[in-house]
Amino acid sequence: MRAVTDPAELLLRRLMRLLRWRLWVQEKLQPTEWQVTLLWAALAGFLGALSSILFTGLAEGVHDLFGYSGNGVGVVESMRQLPWWGCLLVPALGGMCAGLVLLLGKHIAPGQSSTDYMEVIAIGNGHVPMRASLVKSAAALFSIGSGGSIGREGPMVQLAAVLASFIGRWRQFTPPQLRLIVACGAAAGIASAYNAPIAGSFFVAEIILGTIAMESLGPLAVSAVVATLTVRVLTAAHVLYRVPAFHLNSPLEMGPYVVLGLLTGVLAPLFLRSLRQAEGFFVGLKLPLVARLTLGGLAVGAIAINVPQVAGNGYSVVVQILNGGLVWKVLLGIAACKWLATMASFGSGAPGGVFTPSLFMGASAGYLFGLAVHAVWPAAAQDPRAFALVGMGAFLSAASRAPVMAVIMLFEMTLSYDIILPLMLCSVIAYYTARGLDTRSLYSESLKTKAAAAESLAPFSTETRVADLMRVKPPVVGETARFAEIARLFLNVRVNNLYVVDAAGRFKGVVSLHDIKPYLGEPDLAELVLARDILHEDFPRVAPEQPLAEALGGFLGIAAERLPVVEPDGTLRGSLSKGDLLLALVEKRKKPVAA
Amino acid sequence: MTTPIDLIAHPDVLALELQATSGVEAIRALHARLGAVGGAVTDAPRFLADLVERAAMASVCIAADIAVPHARTGAVGRMVLAVGRSTQDVAFDPEHPGVRLVFLIGTPRAAVADYLKLVAGLARLLKKPGVRAGLLAAKTEAEFLARLARGAESKR
Repeated sequence: MRAVTDPAELLLRRLMRLLRWRLWVQEKLQPTEWQVTLLWAALAGFLGALSSILFTGLAEGVHDLFGYSGNGVGVVESMRQLPWWGCLLVPALGGMCAGLVLLLGKHIAPGQSSTDYMEVIAIGNGHVPMRASLVKSAAALFSIGSGGSIGREGPMVQLAAVLASFIGRWRQFTPPQLRLIVACGAAAGIASAYNAPIAGSFFVAEIILGTIAMESLGPLAVSAVVATLTVRVLTAAHVLYRVPAFHLNSPLEMGPYVVLGLLTGVLAPLFLRSLRQAEGFFVGLKLPLVARLTLGGLAVGAIAINVPQVAGNGYSVVVQILNGGLVWKVLLGIAACKWLATMASFGSGAPGGVFTPSLFMGASAGYLFGLAVHAVWPAAAQDPRAFALVGMGAFLSAASRAPVMAVIMLFEMTLSYDIILPLMLCSVIAYYTARGLDTRSLYSESLKTKAAAAESLAPFSTETRVADLMRVKPPVVGETARFAEIARLFLNVRVNNLYVVDAAGRFKGVVSLHDIKPYLGEPDLAELVLARDILHEDFPRVAPEQPLAEALGGFLGIAAERLPVVEPDGTLRGSLSKGDLLLALVEKRKKPVAA
Repeated sequence: MTTPIDLIAHPDVLALELQATSGVEAIRALHARLGAVGGAVTDAPRFLADLVERAAMASVCIAADIAVPHARTGAVGRMVLAVGRSTQDVAFDPEHPGVRLVFLIGTPRAAVADYLKLVAGLARLLKKPGVRAGLLAAKTEAEFLARLARGAESKR
């Protein structure tokens, strides 16, 4: 065989051989778009967990800063140790600091009004503003660390969502992808806060995305799992509520559980309505922000002088309830005071969540109801603590309007499977009862307002077109690009079809990786074959103005992950990803929860 | 159905005494011969225009003395191959003034994979030791075809 001596030809041969091997390796290892999405979801989960751990640490730091005793003592215990004036001063001071931070934030992040991750996922473009969210979270540190009657899951989820949004913007995700990655961040936040990966996924799927389609649930699950694992590895995470083993002792018990479902279904909307009324009351005072939050803290402190259990999110009291450590009269008093304290914190605008306070209300209602039934008919409620557990799930289901998430979360937080039958029944009854009484849920208010605003501003929420999802500047080659150039481009961009355009930017067709793959070892083709020689002119395409459902038809019958977006005059505008399209269509099947 | 490798062994046209001094002349001559093959070329003028346009766009030579003018065109009903050998130098482009062997290919637009197979098969065949010299030295059409067939077959 004639030995090749021409250095240029030798180089070309080596290059083509290298290209062939690299392409082979790349093809074997090349993840699909969905697999890549899962990788980013995992990163969002990891960062979300880190941010949650950081937030928890900082909240404890703030807790110590306010003169509490520290050493891992909870907010309730700290409050108990304070003198009366300390009980008044600390939450008031915390509210004031939170207000000052929010005030300062208005200067640091002017104009960044839509900071809520739920709005961003459900109706926004997936862009969670970084500075405004950090300001809100910093303010939450003070309201939570000082003993405000508010949950910390809100800011934890917000922070996780911000980081996820940052990843998405860094990778230049399309709006549906960006919303999905932010949703992954939110799922990671919930999973980290409650050590509950399944509930974390379903929280976002059920409440915010409004769908449990695999296109979105898969990434949510990956993110939540990674977040939970991270928290478990880096901290001493454990089952949130350790409960004794509960048994359904008699089918008769199902009767009282039905009544408990109805009861929590009535109580939850009342609780939410009272929070809104408290908010209206504080707004009606027309006080400056700092004064309003200080007043809210002061109110919580005033209640905490006699009932320190109202401080914080209510976690420690729930643990006491589940272990039967409270008598009914005391609990009734604590629950009533906690209700008022949550109204004061939430109403004054203290940043934080009401998720855990809702669990508290459910546990109290369930336990008190169980005790009452037990007193009248012991056989129908042998263990009132089981009613507390079921009450938590039912109240959460009625407040959040997410019964699936509520059932799963209760199961994950307690790992008590025996309670699942009454829990499911009770949660569903509570959900329907609450829905019949009030259409608004824990999360619907802001979404509703923002949805109305978004409808008028963004065409996305009405009739989404291909142009809204299109990725601009797809990789292209000219008609006269040579085989070697085409092969190199395939190596640099992760596509299976390269778009070919003429000098005026008009779409001429595609070159398929599948076609050229077997010939990468042929140096003679490197200069002989041009893009136009191996062009598929009949490749399907979509128009920018086409509705999404119509565009989906373009993907029928071909294995392509993307289609070119071409103007009627032939100009190539971008590419449409099948993944983006499916996500958008899944989203389109539902409206924001508020609607 | 004729595969690209079968086509190399049994081209539609074989012209051992190709009369041409330029690439375009060689293309015209082989194109004219292909036109006589029943049913293969459905639009002869268009096919010629496509061949010439492609040759003008970028070099179609794969060696100093071998050219592979080709066109993917709607003017042929099936893949066609015409082989020509010139006793004098044919100037296809400034960098390839001494072409002796010309393999003219026409493929239907949809047959991208077959086109690549044919071109790659030809390139491989002509790189084999002795094949090119054997084709240039063949005394008869039968000998030429036998060498083509042997080369094509050995690659299967």
